[in-house]
Amino acid sequence: MSNQTSMSSSLSIIFSVAIVWGFSQERRIEFEEYGLDNGLHVILHQDNTTPIVNVSVLYHVGAKNEPEGRKGFAHFFEHLMFEGSPNIARGDFFKIIESAGGSLNANTTNDRTFYFETLPSHQLELGLYMESERMLHATIDSTGIATQKEVVKEEKRRNYDNRPYGSILSETFSRVFKDTPYEWTTIGDMDDIDAATEEDFKKFFETFYVPNNATIAITGDIDIKETKKLVEKYFGEIPKGAKEIPRPKVEMKELGLVEAEVFDNIQLPAVIHAYQMAEQGSEDYYAMQMLTTLLSGGQSSRFQKEIVDNQQLAVAVGSFPIALEDAGVFIAYGILNMGKTPKDLEKIMDAEIARIKTEEISDSEFQKLRNQIENSFVSSNSTMRGIAESLADYHVYFGDANLINNEIQRYMAVTKEDLRNVAKKYLDPNRRVELTYLPKSAQQKPEEEEVEDH
Amino acid sequence: MKSKYISCILVLIGLSVAEAQVDRSKLPEPGIPRPVNIGEYKSFELENGLKVFVIENHKLPRVSYNLVLNRQPILEGDKVGYLSMVGQMLRRGTEKRTKEQLDEEVDFIGASLAASSTSVFASGLSKYNEKILELMTDVTFNPTFPKEELEKIRTQTISNLAANKEDPSAISSNLRQALVYGKDHPYGEIQTEETTNKITVEDLKTYHDQYFRPNIAYLAIVGDVDFKETQRLIKTYFGSWENKAVPNPTYEIPVLPKDNIIALVNRSGAVQSAINITYPVELKIGSEDQIKARVMNQILGGSGSAKLFTNLREDKGYTYGSYSSLSADELVGRFNANVEVRNEVTDSSIVQIIYEMEQMKKGEISKDEIRLAKNSIAGSFSRSLERPQTVANFALNLARYNLPEDYYSTYLQKVQSISKEEVQAMANKYLKTKNAYIIVVGKANEVEDKLRPFGELKYYDTYGNEIDPSLSKIPDGLTAQSVFQKYIDVIGGKEKIEAIKSIKMKMQSSVMGQTMDMEQSKLAPNLSLTEVKMGGNIMQKIVFDGEKGKMSGMQGTQEITGDQALDMAISSAIVEELAYLNNGIEAKLSSVEQIDGKDIYGVEVTSPSGKTSIRYYDSDSGLLIKASNTLETPQGAMTVTGEFGDYQEFEGVLFPTKMTQPLNPQMKMDISVSEILINTEISADIFKIE
Repeated sequence: MSNQTSMSSSLSIIFSVAIVWGFSQERRIEFEEYGLDNGLHVILHQDNTTPIVNVSVLYHVGAKNEPEGRKGFAHFFEHLMFEGSPNIARGDFFKIIESAGGSLNANTTNDRTFYFETLPSHQLELGLYMESERMLHATIDSTGIATQKEVVKEEKRRNYDNRPYGSILSETFSRVFKDTPYEWTTIGDMDDIDAATEEDFKKFFETFYVPNNATIAITGDIDIKETKKLVEKYFGEIPKGAKEIPRPKVEMKELGLVEAEVFDNIQLPAVIHAYQMAEQGSEDYYAMQMLTTLLSGGQSSRFQKEIVDNQQLAVAVGSFPIALEDAGVFIAYGILNMGKTPKDLEKIMDAEIARIKTEEISDSEFQKLRNQIENSFVSSNSTMRGIAESLADYHVYFGDANLINNEIQRYMAVTKEDLRNVAKKYLDPNRRVELTYLPKSAQQKPEEEEVEDH
Repeated sequence: MKSKYISCILVLIGLSVAEAQVDRSKLPEPGIPRPVNIGEYKSFELENGLKVFVIENHKLPRVSYNLVLNRQPILEGDKVGYLSMVGQMLRRGTEKRTKEQLDEEVDFIGASLAASSTSVFASGLSKYNEKILELMTDVTFNPTFPKEELEKIRTQTISNLAANKEDPSAISSNLRQALVYGKDHPYGEIQTEETTNKITVEDLKTYHDQYFRPNIAYLAIVGDVDFKETQRLIKTYFGSWENKAVPNPTYEIPVLPKDNIIALVNRSGAVQSAINITYPVELKIGSEDQIKARVMNQILGGSGSAKLFTNLREDKGYTYGSYSSLSADELVGRFNANVEVRNEVTDSSIVQIIYEMEQMKKGEISKDEIRLAKNSIAGSFSRSLERPQTVANFALNLARYNLPEDYYSTYLQKVQSISKEEVQAMANKYLKTKNAYIIVVGKANEVEDKLRPFGELKYYDTYGNEIDPSLSKIPDGLTAQSVFQKYIDVIGGKEKIEAIKSIKMKMQSSVMGQTMDMEQSKLAPNLSLTEVKMGGNIMQKIVFDGEKGKMSGMQGTQEITGDQALDMAISSAIVEELAYLNNGIEAKLSSVEQIDGKDIYGVEVTSPSGKTSIRYYDSDSGLLIKASNTLETPQGAMTVTGEFGDYQEFEGVLFPTKMTQPLNPQMKMDISVSEILINTEISADIFKIE
């Protein structure tokens, strides 16, 4: 199973929004939602075009819910949830779904954990059974914990430690979100995972993996009535959680200028600027999303054209906002071309951002942004799996699954002035984290400094 | 009354179902599979021969255009690579628009536009339908193939080819092509720097003129469009496209080898063997066998649950993964099974792959294996139907390969009806354990003897040319020292080298198109200073004072002491080989390889700090041609190679004036020497370290 970092999943939230706006009524995504007695929220979307069905379960628990000294727990749990149940032998979870012709995966962010299967529609019941098995009584034992510890460590080595620039998010989050529950990223700390006991895991399961903390979204070739019966059959008997579900408060601290050098297994230095930003769903957030398209959406975007094509200062450049449930961060980055200095790149990145604050964007460029955003929306939510994830996210984060149909209006309400205003409000060069990524080979060792004094 | 009674019973049954205890001890029974609806399409043909398929799908307000040219494969001859350049160049300028204008206009409507030598693809919001069509037809009909853009692509292509030279999977791919199809077959041609350099703008223009013709073209339109309106638009935009007869070459079908042939490519520094078992197959797209053969391959090596993976990874732990593929093709298909393993288990891995192929032929196939294979093929088929593009592909295939109309609508039934006997029959027909090419890219002297039992052993170079192994033996009496001595002699002799007290070299280097100036000064016996400059500023400086060194640049300063300094004392010599001999550096003549028909001696040199590198000398000229080092990377130890060439004489001594220096496994720096000054005044002060 893959672990999506908060970056990619937040991006997917951004892009998995409505496909309907200004179009005819039949393009609405119709859905039905209701709650079971045990608190499980159910969302159903029927589309019989193709005989496939997606079963998705979202648990409202992510890295930010991890107790002190247990960083990485939520993501570790995602792995553990594939270990089986009293009725599903260890290692069989994948095989059962695959031999039914299905595909499956899961991902974890700072705010939530998400599981899904896409199956031929006549296997709907199997999908519900599998998900209900792990919600009811996932196997949590020392063997599974030991196995998954190794798997997660390997994942950390491969995707974070050994991947060039793989630590950008953790280096950014630890500074931008300092002293808040967003301070660490989903992969967490291997020492914390190693120190965790079977008891810790059981407690976490009993607290968060309960129907009253979960949303199930079923999309595709289903019969609504029949599906409701099956949901009741498999999930109705799962008891409501007895514990209170803690919801940590995120209180952002004012950020000054924070500079740091990071030495990594890379060849080309990189410059990363991270700014605090509004949380997802806020008005400012939509403006920031448009602003990132202006800077780095497509071959003709400002960063790409000026920094990569014209001045050839960087081999790659970009920006992306990460909007979490309770706070956000906006990241602008560039990877240096051979022989260029971080200072050169920094200067031009800042100049491009300053331009947004001072120069009015032309009508045609603004129209281009709106067109690009519109195209992204329309292209998203084209699969049953995408629709299920969007519906569940909208319900959990905003209490309004119908945003899948009308969130686009919020984007289209953004004006040119809004772009200028959010640039001024958030993209202040004196209130940001500046990371310079340098090749490990350039790292200076203390004893070598002493030699130099001779 | 009666109906009321019945409905009561139904309610009761319904309740009893809902309230019954769920039996969780067994998996729920699947329901009845719903028939798969492939989706409909309409088609029409223009007078010029363009065949158009329209798949109306109004779920999303999007549209896509996929133009496909259905031509026979083409022999590129001495210009291999020009076809792939056609695609890249189509998007880089037309009679109406520069590349920048194309980028701007495509982004403005949030669309995408891409091309290859046999296709042009465009997509975007349906409200920009006509604009998308206009952009797409502009690149299709009016490309200008600007020379300067061709040069950019040529440079990138050549540096990619250079990076691939050392890459085992690229070498394996060369061998597969050359052996299975033969180098005079369109599927067997191999692109090199030489063929890339021969490509001209004219070639691209000629190709475009010959093959971008409506009479061999299919256009699939998918999305939120109206059929009538589409007919009108297509007539408007494609109606005046002129047809013209297109060349239709034929090719001989490659044949199976009579017996197994072991094709070994020596990589003297390799720690792993890349193994491919491969041969041509005659399996046509849409033929009766195709679906059955696919199920057969799925069981053998199509997934992480298949026989090969289970055996070689799960059971033996030889590898991270092992898979097989069986491709169907109108001309000629191919079977291939592959794995990468450590040197010691090279032969055992081949044994296991052949064993699993034999198991298939014997019918040692369980019900579970068949079920899993059939269901996962059926599952991915069904899931693929979610994308309307799939329907377009089906429509294109039906037309291009002349398939029966119900080919796709009955696909799932055909998959499900396949029996074990049929799978076994496919295995016996398509799996060859005695007429295969067994390609091994690895360390010859560690694996060659173990490979002999599998068949006739032949040696190949990295481009798939057979070489004579008897030449790969180290001649009697030849030693590392004599190779060094010959080098010293041919570049001018010990006396002349020792007469060089100072040397100053000016160089230009470039990495990925970025250029920098470099200057290197050396003072005998072993003082050196290297500076990298950009726009007059020193970016990096490495200095060695005979005992210790210092490296400084924009990333800080680092002292060079200890073992590293000992190594630098050797590499700072005017000619390294002389320093090897004078300082008794440990060296061993370790290999003879054939490259482009010449014997190349490999000498393993161990530096004072214990680091080893291999330096390669041309047996004829005696000159150093390349040197490889082992680098520690996040992916493990990797071998990187630098090259030396274009030797020129300065004060009676030959020095290489063209070099490449590896920076990491993916990136190389090209260095060219512009000036060498011998015995000019160089102050010893510049080598001082404060």
